[in-house]
Amino acid sequence: MDKYQCGVCGHIYDPVIGEPTLSIVSGIDFSDITGTFNCPVCGAEKSMFTKV
Amino acid sequence: MAVREVVPGVQWVGSIDWDRKVFDELIPLPHGTSYNAYLVKGTEKTALIDTVDPKKEFELVANLISSSVDRIDYLIVNHAEQDHSGSLPMLLELFPMAKVVTNEKCCEFLKKFHEIEESCCHIIKDGDTLDLGGATLEFIITPWVHWPETMVTYLREKKILFSCDLFGSHLATSDLFVIDENTTYTAAKRYYAEIMMPFRNSIKGHLERLDNYEINIIAPSHGPLYDRPGLIIDAYRDWTGDHVKNEAIILYVSMHGSTEKMVAHLTDALIKREIPVKVLNLGVCDTGEISVSLVDAATIILATPTVLFGPHPLMVYAAYLANLIRPKAKFGTVIGSYAWGGKTIDTLKGMLNHLTLEFLTPIYIQGTPDITAFQALDKLADAVEQKHKNLV
Repeated sequence: MDKYQCGVCGHIYDPVIGEPTLSIVSGIDFSDITGTFNCPVCGAEKSMFTKV
Repeated sequence: MAVREVVPGVQWVGSIDWDRKVFDELIPLPHGTSYNAYLVKGTEKTALIDTVDPKKEFELVANLISSSVDRIDYLIVNHAEQDHSGSLPMLLELFPMAKVVTNEKCCEFLKKFHEIEESCCHIIKDGDTLDLGGATLEFIITPWVHWPETMVTYLREKKILFSCDLFGSHLATSDLFVIDENTTYTAAKRYYAEIMMPFRNSIKGHLERLDNYEINIIAPSHGPLYDRPGLIIDAYRDWTGDHVKNEAIILYVSMHGSTEKMVAHLTDALIKREIPVKVLNLGVCDTGEISVSLVDAATIILATPTVLFGPHPLMVYAAYLANLIRPKAKFGTVIGSYAWGGKTIDTLKGMLNHLTLEFLTPIYIQGTPDITAFQALDKLADAVEQKHKNLV
């Protein structure tokens, strides 16, 4: 599973950690996140993330 | 303040802030700044594009009076930040029938910042137009050109792009249009580094879109206007592009001279290898100088001693700043000296996690550099030379 970085603020989504502030548990691939996802730091849309 | 005509039907009614020396208590303004507001008069309606910092709102009002404005129908807000939107409350008191024209996101911000009522807002979408009577304003939504709600406004008949912060420069000058291109280029690059660099990828996309517009004049919200738009558009293409320059930046701080000796040796070693290098002492360089040095260099070297258990706080500041503004450098490392311990290298590496740097071997020594340390620095210079040779 890959990490994804927000193109706006640089925040990194790490599937090993998940996104605790958005109640996304560890082990979920970025592409498998369902529903609306906005960067927890700056609010940018999911489309602003790219694989790192 | 003198009102100036940009073209017939379009007047500059902003304010030049000669005295301002710092922005956001963060960004030094060596040449002051300006807040540009533009009055566009059609045969039917009148629009004001952006306002000024509220501390200068009386200058804006004086300008409107000297422009013989008896009504404003539309207050166009390209960006909600207070140095552009801050005079809205006063303008709405003077012109209560005026509509605030902006996008939905910006309207949300204006409600929070200035308690603007939603009923005062006329929400536009990307590509919408507003006909003033022989003057058509087209709104182009350009998110993340500083903030998520940013947009630019294009006056079709005159081919003027009102770009707000995009393409701006902190430069107080009586020149309405750019005359001194070198001074403006330098100020605009510094502005880009401080404000726009984190949004490099968004801006690249917006530049492609703006290619579809014929632009005779770029009218930003800070600094002089461009009647030769190629100057700033080409510069932005260069700065936002993925290409990095064959250049190494050494940011350094030294306490007892050991790190300084290492920096001096590495600097000479890079010069001998004909690698352009800039050395910035964090004890005397300001935030703007640090930021602009990082715009297009291929390599960033952080040189710091260890204070107690980690990097010198001045280096912590610089690393935090670099991680925020995210320069496109491809290579980096840490050099310096410690007395008895600490974990400076790991701390700094962790602080740069938003950069996509390939870390070269750090050189971190105890005490004063000896011949072994100098040889290691020569090897680092060799590595930088090799990496830069392979740049596309």
